[in-house]
Amino acid sequence: MAMNLDYAVRETWTNLRRNVVISIASVLCVTVSLSLVGVALMARQGVERATQRWQDGVEFIVFVAPDASEEQIDSVGASLESNPLVERVTFFDQEQAYQEFSEMFADSPDMVETVTPDILPPSFRVVPTSTDLASVEELVQQYESQPGVIQVARSTEAIVAIKDVSDFLTGWALGVALVLLVVAVLIILTTIQLAIFTRRREIEVMRLVGASKAFIRVPFMAEGLVQGLVGALLAIAALRIFQPVFENSLPSSDQLVLFSEFTFSGVDMLWTYLLLGGVGAGIGTAAAAIAVTWFLDA
Amino acid sequence: MIRLESVSKVYKGEVTALRDASLNIDKGEFVFLVGASGSGKSTFIRLLNREETPTTGKIWVAGKDVGGLSSSKVPFLRRNIGCVFQDFKLLPSKTVAENVAFSLEVIGRPRNVIRSQVPAILELVGLGDKADRFPNELSGGEQQRVSVARAFVNRPLILLADEPTGNLDPATSVGIMRLLERINKTGTTVVMATHDRSIVDTMRRRVIELEHGDIIRDQSRGVYN
Repeated sequence: MAMNLDYAVRETWTNLRRNVVISIASVLCVTVSLSLVGVALMARQGVERATQRWQDGVEFIVFVAPDASEEQIDSVGASLESNPLVERVTFFDQEQAYQEFSEMFADSPDMVETVTPDILPPSFRVVPTSTDLASVEELVQQYESQPGVIQVARSTEAIVAIKDVSDFLTGWALGVALVLLVVAVLIILTTIQLAIFTRRREIEVMRLVGASKAFIRVPFMAEGLVQGLVGALLAIAALRIFQPVFENSLPSSDQLVLFSEFTFSGVDMLWTYLLLGGVGAGIGTAAAAIAVTWFLDA
Repeated sequence: MIRLESVSKVYKGEVTALRDASLNIDKGEFVFLVGASGSGKSTFIRLLNREETPTTGKIWVAGKDVGGLSSSKVPFLRRNIGCVFQDFKLLPSKTVAENVAFSLEVIGRPRNVIRSQVPAILELVGLGDKADRFPNELSGGEQQRVSVARAFVNRPLILLADEPTGNLDPATSVGIMRLLERINKTGTTVVMATHDRSIVDTMRRRVIELEHGDIIRDQSRGVYN
C-alpha cells in the first residue's frame, strides 16, 4: 500500500506536540535507564581492558628480558612447568606480546608505532594451584631471582578491587537499569495510549473508511520510536560528556601493572552507542506497537 | 450485491440481535430497514461492514464472504462501503474539506486525486461554498451532508446509513433523502436503517422490517408498517 511518508511524519509530530509533557517523561526515563546501562557496559569494558592479562586465574606473570637467551627462557619455562605449586603456564612470545600491546593501545597508534616486537619482553602467564597469598608470594620471589627474568608482576589488590567494582556495576547497575527500562516501556505505552485516546474519533473514522491497520499504526509506532531514540541519544550524549570524569575517578594506570591502562576504545564505545540506540529505538517501537495492538484488537 | 444466508448474531451467548436472516439485495437497490429500537437494525448494518461477525450463517457483500474475511482484508471491504451515521462522526478539528479529504488520504489516494475530487463532491452535496468551515459552524443538516460527501467521495458500491435523519428536523431530512436518492441513481446500493415513518411512506422503496431480531416483513415499494 502506498504509505504517505509526509502523512506519517506530520501525524507523528502532531502527536508528540500534543502530549509534550508525558513525552518528555518517557524520553527522560529512557535516558536515565540507558545511561545506567551505558555506564555499566563502559565499566565492564574498561575493566576488561585494564585486566586483560589477568583473566582466567592468572595470578602472576614472569617477564623475561627481551634479550634473554633461549636456554634461559627454556629453563624458566621448564622450572615453572615442573613446579608442583603451578597448575598451568602459558608462554607469550614477543609476537604475542606485541599483539597484546597493540590491542591495549589501539587508541594510541603513535605509541604502537614506536614499539616493535623485539623490544617487548616475552612472558609466562602462571596459574598457581593455590591463590593463597603466602604461597603466591613465595613463588614470585622464587622466580624473580632466576637468570633472564626482569620482573614478576602480581595480580595486585587494585586489580581485585577494580574487578569487584566492575562486578558490582555490571550486576547492580544493570539490574536497576532493567527495572527502569521496564518503567520506560510502561510510560511510553501509556503515552501512546493517551495519544490514541486523544485521537480515537479519527481512528474510528479511519477504520470506517477502510484505512489499513498498518496505516493507523505507523504514526503511533513512529512516536514511540522517536521517544525511545531521543532518550537513547540523550543517554549517549550524557555518556560522552561524563566519560572523562568517569575515567579520572577510576584507578590510574600506575596503580595497575605494566602496560595496563583504564581507557575506553573508540570501537568499544561505538558498539555501546549503537547498542543503546538500538535498545532505545526497540523498546519505544515495541511499547507503541503493544499499545496500538491492544486498542485495535479490543 | 448483499446476500445473507441463515445469519444469526448472538451477543455474549444471551442476546439474540438477529435470528436466521436470509435475503438478497441487488445492485442499485434502495432498502429501508425499519423496526423498534433494539430490533436488530444496527446489528444488521454492523454485520455488513464487518464491525461485527455473524455467530452463524454466511454474509456476502460485494462478492466477498464477509464473515470469513481475514482482518487484514477488512479495510479493502470497507473501501467499497460508505457509512453515514446519526451522529455524523465528523472530526471537529478539521474543516469540511479536510474531513472529506481525510477519508481519501488514509486509504492512500494520491494528492492530485484528492485535490480534484473533494471540491467536486462538496459541490454535489451542495456545500461548495463551505469547504473551509469547521463542523461546529454548520447546521445539523449541513454536517450530515459533509458526512454523506465523505462516505461517497470514494464512489463505494454500497452506502450504509444508520438513522441518518435521526438528529434532523423533517425539512432537513428531506434534503438528505434527496441526496441519498441521487447517490442511489448513480448505481450505488443504499441500505438505510430508520425510524422516520414519513420518509419511508413517501419514498415507497423496499422495506425490511425487523422485530426482536426476526425479519417479519420484506416488501418492495413498502410503507413503514
